[in-house]
Amino acid sequence: MDFRTLRSAFSLGWVNAAIPPALLLILILGIGSAAPGFLTQETLLLLLANTAVLFILAAGVTGVILVGGIDLSIQAIASLSSVILAQLVPQIGIMAFPAAILAGVVFGVLSGLVHVRLKVPSFVATLATGGVVAGIALWAADGRAITIEASGRVFTGWINGSFAGLPVVVWIAAVLGAALYLVMRYTPFGRYSLAIGAGEPAAIAAGINVDRTKIIAFAISGGLAAIAGVVLAARLSSGSPTLANQLLLPAIAAVIVGGTAITGGLGGIGRTAVGALIISIVRMGMTFIGVNIFAENVVFGAVLILAVAITIDRSKIAVIK
Amino acid sequence: MSMPRPALFGESNRKRLRRWAPALVLMLLCTLITIANPNFIEPRNLIRVANSAAVPLTLAMGLTFIILMGSIDLSVEGSLSIAAMVTVLLAANDANANSWGWFAVAAAIAASTALGALTGAIQTFLRIPSFMATLGIWFIGLGVSVYMLGGSAVRLMDPSIRDLALARFLGFPLSVWVALGAFLLACAIQYHTRLGRHILAIGGGEEVAELSGIKLRRVRIAAFALAGFFFGLAGILAAAQLGRSDAVIADGRLFAAVTAVVVGGTALTGGEGGVVNTLIGVLIVTVLGNGMILLGVSPYVQQSVQGLLIIAAVALSLDRLRLQIVK
Repeated sequence: MDFRTLRSAFSLGWVNAAIPPALLLILILGIGSAAPGFLTQETLLLLLANTAVLFILAAGVTGVILVGGIDLSIQAIASLSSVILAQLVPQIGIMAFPAAILAGVVFGVLSGLVHVRLKVPSFVATLATGGVVAGIALWAADGRAITIEASGRVFTGWINGSFAGLPVVVWIAAVLGAALYLVMRYTPFGRYSLAIGAGEPAAIAAGINVDRTKIIAFAISGGLAAIAGVVLAARLSSGSPTLANQLLLPAIAAVIVGGTAITGGLGGIGRTAVGALIISIVRMGMTFIGVNIFAENVVFGAVLILAVAITIDRSKIAVIK
Repeated sequence: MSMPRPALFGESNRKRLRRWAPALVLMLLCTLITIANPNFIEPRNLIRVANSAAVPLTLAMGLTFIILMGSIDLSVEGSLSIAAMVTVLLAANDANANSWGWFAVAAAIAASTALGALTGAIQTFLRIPSFMATLGIWFIGLGVSVYMLGGSAVRLMDPSIRDLALARFLGFPLSVWVALGAFLLACAIQYHTRLGRHILAIGGGEEVAELSGIKLRRVRIAAFALAGFFFGLAGILAAAQLGRSDAVIADGRLFAAVTAVVVGGTALTGGEGGVVNTLIGVLIVTVLGNGMILLGVSPYVQQSVQGLLIIAAVALSLDRLRLQIVK
């Protein structure tokens, strides 16, 4: 690689990294000048609260995308955990939270095991485990939505509250995001993840335990999906086997729009936070200008394709299948 | 050239076993279910099995070509719901005054074929992996069709299109015969056309295919358009069977189609398998579903069982020697 290609690669990476925050700023200022009511503390807090669940889901899948995989089971795991919470909260109270989250971690580990041990490509492995999980959720809820009654709401009500001026859901998302940021930056797992995503053969040659790293990434993704599910269930006071079905596409779109490459090795939690805010603002903006709620999927689908086309690192894939 | 995969070097036992495993599984499954509940082999039930296999078979024909090529098409549900939406909105229905009759069917197939061609163009011109391109198209298709339906269910009132599901020929509903026709068409395309052989060649090894003079981009776009054609046909059958189209008409179809293709023995890595395998795969999935109902298993568990089937089939069929890194 000579100097010029090195420099162009560097400047391109810099531009790519700057696009999402710039876009976010433009969106906020643009909507703020068009609708003066937008830049108030109240609306911005609402925006943050609405982004929280999407961000938690997207943060989990970020780790999997960074190692070069994909997780298509997050919406099923989130729905299952909402069902588990709604079913268990009347019986075991606050302990329903760890139980639901544990279920998510277990299914994340299972996805990881299927992927690395049986060598099934991650999108098929997670499509399949997602189907298994969705079936279990339907069976556990008998195909219906389960309302959390007043006796259970004693234990879930705190999620709708505020702490130090910010909604509790925003705190949950912020703490999880910060923790994950630190993990990705300062632990061997975080380093290994980036290394595997950047070049798996080199990572193997360097002696990194690739299988274990990938399984941990899937476990985190499953765990965070489950947390997103319980937060959603507690906010809505209801669990349903199809609760999070509409969240898969926005979550993956948030990761990619934030600037994490689908090919892995480039990106991080901070970018996903920006991406989740962009998706959330676009969604609020569409509701604001009266775009039909069913048409939102069309926009997200198109945004996803464009963002992948821009961020993908084509040097890493010899054959685009 | 007859078969594109001649047994030039002779087959190892393992490979032969792998080739016949799906058929053996199907026979074993039928035998076990019959022992558990003899109602299974009653003609009425077999017709029911054939009827519920019609839509998955038509869908899976399209998906087979994409997987043979080594790609994946996640837009099955979007494409199917587009075709179903176009059919019900253009034929006689209870939401508007249109009554285009069979032109509605032609328009539906044209729409989903065009969507397929668009998918192929996006994948090849923007150079992004097919699972991402088709994930986007999945939701675009679903969004457009739900938007056009206004979020509600629209009933299909055209009696001649409804007859696809209601009228019978030789005891089977017409939709079964349409699905059979789709299967024969897919066989003809795979074994007797240049497109079919080029798809198989790309799946077997893209670089070699390109060096042999195959126009990759053109074949890929044609393959996705072909898949869109079959998805459109399936959408029309689904609309005729249900007598309406709504937001959830396509729910679970992708899953059933992928399960059928991989359980039939078509390798996800491409270049191995084909539409005959998929026929057996569809029958395995449908018979299993029918058997679980006969045995009184909760229908909700079906999706879980299909998920496990996908994992087992892919894990057994992957040629690990060729795979260094799995992503």
